[in-house]
Amino acid sequence: MFTLLAQEAASNVDAGKAIALALGIGLGSLGAGIGIGNIFGSMIQAVARQPELRGELTGIQWLGFALTEAVVFYGLIGGLLAYVLV
Amino acid sequence: MLARLLAAALTLLLVLPASVALASTTEGEEEEFNPEHDFEIGEWIPIHLGPLDLSVNKAVAYLILGSIVTMALGIALMRIKVRAPDEVGRRQALGEIVYEVAQTQVAEQGLPHKAIGRWFPYVASLMLFIWVINMLGFIPLPLSNETFEVFGVELPTLAVYAATSSISVTLSLAFMTFVFTHVEGIRHNGPVKYFKSWIPDVPKALYPLIVPLEILGQFMRLISLSVRLYANMLAGHMLILTFIGLIFVIGNLAVAAFAIPFATAFYLFEVVIVVSIQAFIFAALSAIYIGSAIEPGH
Repeated sequence: MFTLLAQEAASNVDAGKAIALALGIGLGSLGAGIGIGNIFGSMIQAVARQPELRGELTGIQWLGFALTEAVVFYGLIGGLLAYVLV
Repeated sequence: MLARLLAAALTLLLVLPASVALASTTEGEEEEFNPEHDFEIGEWIPIHLGPLDLSVNKAVAYLILGSIVTMALGIALMRIKVRAPDEVGRRQALGEIVYEVAQTQVAEQGLPHKAIGRWFPYVASLMLFIWVINMLGFIPLPLSNETFEVFGVELPTLAVYAATSSISVTLSLAFMTFVFTHVEGIRHNGPVKYFKSWIPDVPKALYPLIVPLEILGQFMRLISLSVRLYANMLAGHMLILTFIGLIFVIGNLAVAAFAIPFATAFYLFEVVIVVSIQAFIFAALSAIYIGSAIEPGH
């Protein structure tokens, strides 16, 4: 399988761009992963301390989750743009 | 028993590729797999008005279907009363849950009290509409550019495609919010007071730095709102397509043993979490933007 992928990459001029795209998105998701972990960790702590606030916090939690998660996709779109245009 | 069945299935999977490889070499006409191919929207009914391209394509067909389903859902869940008023059916209960989420989680979080009457219908229908078109994107429908033949009849292949994975759809949705934000801001505060409210309390010396940034920030809202939804749906579909496509790229049926479970897991993640979260977040941020324009101090 890997030899096959390697052949595919060697025959392809775009291999460098593909590696750059994959690396960029991989590093980008690192940050979002930390952020999402933070949000859910804080949510667990908050609910453990004050369980009666769960209802109010859930909305804020998902808002924060979506805002953080979107950061990866800005990276993805930027990467794809660079991949297509350059 | 189960373990033996699994073992039998695995050996079958490992033996099969040889025959598949043989078959594919004899046929000799394989299309190259390309995940981007599924996002081409084509042109089904060409309509050109001068420089405007108003053709009906795949995304437009999905949007039309989406608006019909949204209207049907809204009418069926929230308008039709079949039972006696004191008896709450399951259908009505579902409608009330949707309504309550739209009111307490979206509208009341972002909009000031005086604006809820006017803007609640907008944010609620935005939420329901985006949810429906996201959801339609994960149901295989016979709306695609490719066809296959059954008994001499050409039928379109079943395909998954979300209208929201096209940037023009999400950008026009975001543009509506953008326009409404500034119209409402100017209507409630007057143009001078509204545009002054963009600038935060900083020393006057920092104005050359802050003012362009704040103006740019208003336009970045447009981009972040549209790209968030667009990229989420695009990436979700591409992930599923790529995992299934790995089977054909590598040309070994054994890959299916891990590709299919992974694709199913991503599919479930998208359907259960991402679809609803993205609809909710788009409506909630629209409400927050409109609300903060109406009452800039808060």
